[in-house]
Amino acid sequence: MTIPADLKYTKEHEWVRIEGEKATFGVSDHAQEALGDIVFVELPEVGRPLEAGEAYAVVESVKAVSDVFAPVSGVVIEVNGALEDAPELVNSDCYGAGWIAKVQIAEGSVELLSDHKYSTFLEE
Amino acid sequence: MSDLAKTALFDEHLLLQGKMVPFAGFAMPVQYKNGALKEYTFVREGGAGLFDITHMGQARVTGPDALAFLQYVSTNDVSKLEEGQVQYSALLNDAGSFIDDITSYKISDREFYLCINAANRHKDVAHLLTQAEAFDVVFTDESDDTTLLALQGAAAQAALQPLVDGDLESIAYYKFAQVKVCGVDGIISRTGYTGEDGFEIYIPNSSAIATWKQLLANGAEAIGLAARDMLRTEMGYALYGHEISDAVTPVEAKLMWITKLDKGDFIGSEAVQARRISGAHKRLIALKLTARGIPREHYKVFVDGVESGEVTSGMHSPMAGGVALAYVKPEHAELGELAVEIRGKLVAAERTTLPFVRSNVRR
Repeated sequence: MTIPADLKYTKEHEWVRIEGEKATFGVSDHAQEALGDIVFVELPEVGRPLEAGEAYAVVESVKAVSDVFAPVSGVVIEVNGALEDAPELVNSDCYGAGWIAKVQIAEGSVELLSDHKYSTFLEE
Repeated sequence: MSDLAKTALFDEHLLLQGKMVPFAGFAMPVQYKNGALKEYTFVREGGAGLFDITHMGQARVTGPDALAFLQYVSTNDVSKLEEGQVQYSALLNDAGSFIDDITSYKISDREFYLCINAANRHKDVAHLLTQAEAFDVVFTDESDDTTLLALQGAAAQAALQPLVDGDLESIAYYKFAQVKVCGVDGIISRTGYTGEDGFEIYIPNSSAIATWKQLLANGAEAIGLAARDMLRTEMGYALYGHEISDAVTPVEAKLMWITKLDKGDFIGSEAVQARRISGAHKRLIALKLTARGIPREHYKVFVDGVESGEVTSGMHSPMAGGVALAYVKPEHAELGELAVEIRGKLVAAERTTLPFVRSNVRR
């Protein structure tokens, strides 16, 4: 189970990388492992405003459909189009090539956990 | 999970990192270490996939009336069945709707072996025991003593042959033989639920582990329920609780090919005949999305923008894309623009023929 130290996490098993006014979203290693083989990702539209905690994408594995929630509020500025043809990138590289969306950050956030706190949360 | 039944292979599943889930009262592996997609691919692309399907039930009918009994309780024409042949059939209630779908194995005119669905086992057994009272037969539920393995894929025969005392080549599609498997009496049929060549293997629980290990040593790989459902859905095979249930008759479910109304009276025959005249309440169709998405069970199906029915089994087929079996209103079975509602949006679809991907069974 990988939990990179430079990211923040949510209790819904998303990660967020905050760089100035921009943030990148994805799902954690724990999430992709629990979901199993991901065969479809429904991406948000660029320009869509997101509230923190809002379901903004859907990942579907062989057996399950799961919402993905925005860790912070913002407007979608870019989505990972590669996932349309290669949804398995979420399994193989969830913190890298398997990122889902980038937003221009606005005010508002769900509770964000450091890598240590997320690790503790997973153990509980 | 503690109140769930375990098959004789439970510990073997754990050894292979099987992810155990409750299924029809059993703890069964939904997938193993490599995941459902790799398991699916292994079976489709020439491997020998090994499935523990011991949750399914088995029963034996013996006695002078065995043939007459089965003719009366099941839909297919048992008199057409030869010794050593397997027949796909169904049990109906008086209303003509499904109690279960089954396979019948003819050992002789006086002895038949039945394979029934896991979820329906106790219901089927109670029903058949009641019906058996009017016939000179002995009906025995052998489920608890029997391990059922399926070995599916192009390499199945090569993996199984070294364990068996007879020549598997002589067992044709939907035929079976009573043979020794790892030195113990069993039944092997060239049947399955995947659309690949392969076998179903009935053995006593006491030889389950030895047989399982030997097959793995011969190159077979364990396959879980998730991949099994992918493989069966791609073939368009009906599954109880999805395409068939006590709410539909063979007229709706496209199963008149196993319902022989001309064979004489059987349970449900009058109701099915009446339904055939009055017309199907709904019709089962095969569809394929023409845009991106995965049609899933219970998603609504629209025709010309109006709700018409729902998906009974749906999946993302690695080969065919978003495919599904669905019930629609009878008038929409052939005509009208199809769409599936996915998260509030209508996604375009088209009717297609089954199977969704090429079948490789050995006909």
